[in-house]
Amino acid sequence: MAFQWTTAALYEALIASELNLEGKIELNDGLEPNISVQLAEFGDLPVQITVSGAQLMVSSALWEASQVKDPARFNELALKLNPVNALSNIGLITLVPGRDLYIMFGELSASSDLAHVIEEIRVLADNTIEAAEAFADQLIASEINSGVQS
Amino acid sequence: MSLWSKIFTMFRARANEAGEAVVDANALRILDQEIRDASEALRKSRDDLTTMMAQRKLSFNKVQPKQNKIAEYSGFIEQLLDRGDETLAREVAQKLADLERETEADEVLLTQYDGNIENLKKSILQAESTISRLKQQVDSVKATENVQRAQAALASQHSGTNTALRTATDSLERIKQKQLERAAKYDAAKELEHFGGDHDLKAKLAHAGLLEDHSSADSVLARFKSRPALSAPPALRLDVDKPKSNV
Repeated sequence: MAFQWTTAALYEALIASELNLEGKIELNDGLEPNISVQLAEFGDLPVQITVSGAQLMVSSALWEASQVKDPARFNELALKLNPVNALSNIGLITLVPGRDLYIMFGELSASSDLAHVIEEIRVLADNTIEAAEAFADQLIASEINSGVQS
Repeated sequence: MSLWSKIFTMFRARANEAGEAVVDANALRILDQEIRDASEALRKSRDDLTTMMAQRKLSFNKVQPKQNKIAEYSGFIEQLLDRGDETLAREVAQKLADLERETEADEVLLTQYDGNIENLKKSILQAESTISRLKQQVDSVKATENVQRAQAALASQHSGTNTALRTATDSLERIKQKQLERAAKYDAAKELEHFGGDHDLKAKLAHAGLLEDHSSADSVLARFKSRPALSAPPALRLDVDKPKSNV
């Protein structure tokens, strides 16, 4: 059977890669560990990487559903964007009851080369920032969003 | 009901419970059941295939001795007819006719077995691909759960505040901020260079005609004219290389 990443092995490989020079890579250990990568080039956007069986998922938080002005309109735009935006998709997950989060995500085979995984991380971060720019007018309370500057 | 329909039904049921986690253990339970069902179907198909192939082999094994008998009886009939023993020849011919009917039936049976075996092999391939697709789906659900958990953990760290969860908009804001800073630094550096360097003075001097402009057409021409004359290029003497016999 072909080589498959585990989250721990992928973390070690990422730490040893050139990506480590460009930001922060952390392993959130646990029963189901995940990796968090924050690259300076993409405004320290946290990108989550998890390996689950034969699948590797790369994702980042767009914004909470409560921040969207007109959910029906936004959902329609997001669905229209998905086919055009080949490598990443927009999805919705529930954080805690009553609190939904839009995410950008991409899936790879867990047998992918390290170079492909790194490319996916960069592409996803880039797409997320692009989306933040493109969808800015769909979000409410931009003064709250732009208020976080640390 | 298809798998997707089941998952959607579950979404709806959950939505009515007002805000449980969307994809959770229930999705995995559904997938687990699907995989069990598909595996069971696969096991049954494999058993059927084994049985079917064994039966085909048995039938096939019976054909050859019958073919041998047919060849043998045909020989007898020829010999008996040669001898003029029509009565015995007829008796053998009766046996031969029975055998031919039997082998015809055997051929039909074998064709049926072959068809069934072909179908079973197809459904086994199908079941195998269904199972691997379901397992991929399980991986996706687990990965999504993992993301959910990671994001929820981040969110709970900021549970006091309204929406302090760091998201795309915050990062975009950081990038813009950095770009602004970079632009400001660039402007400052430009200005410093402008003040500190002799850029300003040079421009004024050149304007007053006191500074030689190295890149004007006039200065280039003057540079060429002041060069010492090169020796004349060698004259073209085409006859030199011609073979002697031709001279």
